[in-house]
Amino acid sequence: MNILYELAYSFLKIGFFGFGGGFAMIPLMHSEVYRHAWLSSEQFGVAIALGQVTPGPVAISATFIGYKVAGFAGAFLATAAVFTPSLLIMYLLDRLYLKERKNEITHAIVHGILPVIVALILIAAVSLGRPAVHSWWQALIVVTVALLAITRKTSYGLLVLGCMAVGALMGWLHY
Amino acid sequence: MRTNDDEPGANESPNPTTWNVTRTYFKIGTLGFGGGYAVLDLIHSELVVKQRWLDEQGFQDMTALSEMAPGALTVNLLAAIAYRMGGIRTMIAATAALILPSFVLIIVLAGLFLAWQDNPVVKSAMKGLTAGVVGLLIAVVWDMLKGVPKHWYCLVVGITALFLGLAFSVNPIWLVLLGGLAGGIKVLLAAVFTRNSGAGRST
Repeated sequence: MNILYELAYSFLKIGFFGFGGGFAMIPLMHSEVYRHAWLSSEQFGVAIALGQVTPGPVAISATFIGYKVAGFAGAFLATAAVFTPSLLIMYLLDRLYLKERKNEITHAIVHGILPVIVALILIAAVSLGRPAVHSWWQALIVVTVALLAITRKTSYGLLVLGCMAVGALMGWLHY
Repeated sequence: MRTNDDEPGANESPNPTTWNVTRTYFKIGTLGFGGGYAVLDLIHSELVVKQRWLDEQGFQDMTALSEMAPGALTVNLLAAIAYRMGGIRTMIAATAALILPSFVLIIVLAGLFLAWQDNPVVKSAMKGLTAGVVGLLIAVVWDMLKGVPKHWYCLVVGITALFLGLAFSVNPIWLVLLGGLAGGIKVLLAAVFTRNSGAGRST
């Protein structure tokens, strides 16, 4: 019971503060997962990667984390919790006629929250990579993926599948 | 876009049933690979071109509204459209249908993964994946930087957050809140500045 409550509370928070799109939730998820020691760095990597190869939003990584922590009930609760704030806030925005304040709110988000989110994603990349990236071939993957995604706009799902294949190949050669 | 008038013959926005919306959202949830702006095209072709549930202007207004809320842009947009068409019940049912395909797929993959995670080859594949995700995050940072205004204020806010996060491990949620505060102050400053100078200045 307690763990389900913790999951729901964590993912509600993640849902509420993930301004700037699905990727903005990744640093928040990482911080919650790390704080509760729910997943190892590699398992967190898998959670995010699975969110990329499935259709639907990035935030679906919540399902994986919930499942790992507390089985199906955990998966259901984490997923419901991470999407509830979006629905609630969209409802309120529609209700409160905040459209008239659209320029001010967008201005505040873009000038205040967006720079913070960019910094947070960079921090997440560092804190995910530091304990998990040890070997030369992993370092090579980091650079290659970043370059392909930036310059070639290669689909994230394909890149993730490629990394998995390279990793499996390295493991197979090694053992 | 008045959807509350129950006029069956209204030309502009034929009110679809909850079931219609849910079914269409399920389709988007199954085909919507790539996330974000890639899925925006799919949503546009399904809802604006094919179903004609809203017009071009309505779609753009809704997208702008969605960018104000936290969370995935596509989920926000689709939730708002569903709400306009059928109220809370449609919004919840349709969003659940949107997420369902990914949810089921993730559960299956997670089950497989947890059963095999101690296998050395799977372990090594995980190492590859994690490295790949680090690379993706760097690419996301690069892409998002383009959306941040080239303004000294944003630079100061971003570097402060980076410093607080790296040096003091400040909880990201606090940093987001501080960012919101910084944004609010910026809006106030901009308002005062515009009033004093008399001319509108857009940044």
